[in-house]
Amino acid sequence: MILLTMIARVSDGLPLAASIHNEETAPNMPEYQSKAKKLFRRLNSTSPSRCSLESGAYTFHYQIDSGVCYLALAGCNFSKRLAFSYLDDLRREFANQFDTVRVDSVARPYHFIEFEQYIKKARRSFVDSRANRNLAMLGAELQDVQRIMVENMDEVLARGESLATLDDKASHLSLLSRRYRDDAAYLNLRSVYARYGIACVALA
Amino acid sequence: MPFVAPTPPLPVGPMPRQMTSPPTLQQPQWSTASAQHRENSVNLLRDRQLLRTHGSEPIETVAPPPLGHSFPAEANCNPDVMSCTMNAVPATAELLRRSRLPLGLAMHPFKDLRSLAIIQANVIVRCRDCRAYINPFVRFSSQQRWRCSLCFLDNDLPEEFLYDPISQTYGDPSRRPEIRNGTVEFIATQEYSVRPPPPATYILALDVSQVLSPDPAVAKSATAYLTAVSQTLLRCLDRLPGDTRTQLAVITFNGVLHLYKLDGPRPSLLAMPDLDGDSDLPMPEGLLVTVAECRDAIVELLESLPELEFPAVPGCCLGSALAIAHRLAQSSGGRLLLFLASRPSVGPGALSGPAGSDSDDLAGQPATDYYKRLALDCCSAQLSVDLFCVGPGHTDLASVMPIAVYSSGRVHRYPHLPDDADRLASDLGRHLTRKLGLEAVLRVRCSNGYSVAAFYGSCFVRATDLAALPCASPDAGFAIQLAVGDGAGTAGASEPVVFQAALLYTGRKGERRIRVHTLGLPVATRIEDVFAGSDQRAIIGLLAQIGAERIITGASRLSDSRDALVNAAADPLAAYARATGQRGAGGLWSPPGIRLLPLLILALLKWPAFRPSVGQLDERAAALAEVNFFVGAAPVI
Repeated sequence: MILLTMIARVSDGLPLAASIHNEETAPNMPEYQSKAKKLFRRLNSTSPSRCSLESGAYTFHYQIDSGVCYLALAGCNFSKRLAFSYLDDLRREFANQFDTVRVDSVARPYHFIEFEQYIKKARRSFVDSRANRNLAMLGAELQDVQRIMVENMDEVLARGESLATLDDKASHLSLLSRRYRDDAAYLNLRSVYARYGIACVALA
Repeated sequence: MPFVAPTPPLPVGPMPRQMTSPPTLQQPQWSTASAQHRENSVNLLRDRQLLRTHGSEPIETVAPPPLGHSFPAEANCNPDVMSCTMNAVPATAELLRRSRLPLGLAMHPFKDLRSLAIIQANVIVRCRDCRAYINPFVRFSSQQRWRCSLCFLDNDLPEEFLYDPISQTYGDPSRRPEIRNGTVEFIATQEYSVRPPPPATYILALDVSQVLSPDPAVAKSATAYLTAVSQTLLRCLDRLPGDTRTQLAVITFNGVLHLYKLDGPRPSLLAMPDLDGDSDLPMPEGLLVTVAECRDAIVELLESLPELEFPAVPGCCLGSALAIAHRLAQSSGGRLLLFLASRPSVGPGALSGPAGSDSDDLAGQPATDYYKRLALDCCSAQLSVDLFCVGPGHTDLASVMPIAVYSSGRVHRYPHLPDDADRLASDLGRHLTRKLGLEAVLRVRCSNGYSVAAFYGSCFVRATDLAALPCASPDAGFAIQLAVGDGAGTAGASEPVVFQAALLYTGRKGERRIRVHTLGLPVATRIEDVFAGSDQRAIIGLLAQIGAERIITGASRLSDSRDALVNAAADPLAAYARATGQRGAGGLWSPPGIRLLPLLILALLKWPAFRPSVGQLDERAAALAEVNFFVGAAPVI
């Protein structure tokens, strides 16, 4: 069951179209929407063009093509081949209707929200994974599945953050060690004074 | 490429605003000795010609005073859009209390405007502490920093703000449209959207319980209203605001619910005998359909609606109809147009008991809070309900009205159909084709020391300064009561007090927009200045909405509200006499700004909303709802 579909521009993460399906059966939609938005912001030209990201009970599948990212959120047991053939179908129709020049020039979010009607229709035909029509497509897409990378969603989001924490810790550590060195030098000096002082007092 | 509507020509020699010493506020022309005040004031017992005889309106609009060269000519928003009850705001709470006048704002935030500056920018510039939008009253301390006019904090200015879209050059930031206009509209960036913009959804719920009534006059009026509704909807079907995803659903109800499956070539009726509000929809698709795809079925249904044969089950199951409509619109929100012809008698929300006499002080309070709770559910689903009362008899409007009042809807009443059919058709046409502002939120911010005490109008008040409007209406007016706190006036007499109202909404094409209105007024430290700047139009709007709200929510009885209104006219005059030392001088002296206030209060007391006894209870309820909805804008005598 596909729960959420989002289409965004890769260069700046601007959402172009989106559709939320069956709100009653999926309670945490706002949380997954914000995860999807964060993911869009992290994508760039070096990201893999097809990827599946696990996150809790659901999986995000995305596909990047000519600067546009197509993302779908599906249950963990939803067939990956079906998810990617759904995204491929969306990609074909979107590329047909809107060319890249137009896509790059828009500025306001959800400019192509009217594409939602096509998304709803496409989703209806892919929703039942036992449908006969889909079996033919499953076979054709079989060889593509092996090339798709599977990762964990949280690791992707946390990548940047863990590097930043490491950096913080390292600089904090160097600060502390510098302070320790200064304190140790000061203590050393004090003990020298104390020794000579006692010696002088003893002599005098 | 930001689009900007044409702005008025620049005054000669616009000065870049450097911050060496603060430019002084040009003092308003009324800060003169009190002797001159006595000359300007009006003796109400002697002067009878108080209304203007020339011009289109009998009561003039008092514009706020010009604030001097340091602020652009259009710095203040249009007084019809937002105006304050006092054009010189008192500096202390003690001064406000001495004047006995209410301090507040009367605003009409979503009004249709002839020209509007629309700004599309990558970053919307806001103060980092109080989150106020940049406005004409800010000061630029350098090319990169600006000082907020509400909390006086210094903020950074982004690079792109130095670009002037009109002359397409870089330079002085004070040439930007946000700095030159009191009313601007921003195209919101993606942080302002919680969810993708929903399609515009219209649900029609029609009460057909009177169609099969044995009384021929009643049956005729029911058929007349169905004809008027279907013809208006057919006429406006192509002009419904929204994009290609616009959706429509039709529900009719008498003792049972009738739903219409519209996604086939022909419409078909489904009767739902189960009136329990928690039941599921009979089918997941086909009830709420896209207008563009199923136009033929919709047109056929509307054409046949007046002659349709409904299952003859007596009663009126309004609660179930509302619950089903709420279920249909749960994921998209939208607008529900509800037509009620008789009192709800079956199902959840059924009302019973005697009608009550209208001279009873407590008549007019809702008998049940079912509709208020349902209104709050509709608000969270972003569904706004407009109520059209089309029955000749008693429909207990006072109990049903909260469904519209708390979900930013409007209440209309047509007791004399079929004579009123034309009025119904034109009002419905306006309702269907007016500007759309879905999922709207209205917030008011004030300068340091001033705060919002209460919010009045047809909305759901989420917090003291925040109102949720499932569908903002261009005709709706709001009144905000303000309080003066300790920090007021500390910035000195040269700084204006700034009030800013921001309305965030989704437009008809699914774009998220923010309309910002800013008003800057001088501070008054003397009682004479406070009286000289008072504005009777805003005062009467504020008082009327406070009075209506108190009666609708049951916070005060009708007689108490009437007394409070009379005191609201008498107290300021007594305070004025005390302040200018005219006590016992003979005659009733009034400052020119509120000379019509007693007349306006008397007129308000004769309005059906506040009259001691009206013919029908429903009439009072409808009048109260109307006062609550839009009197804040401009009173009509």
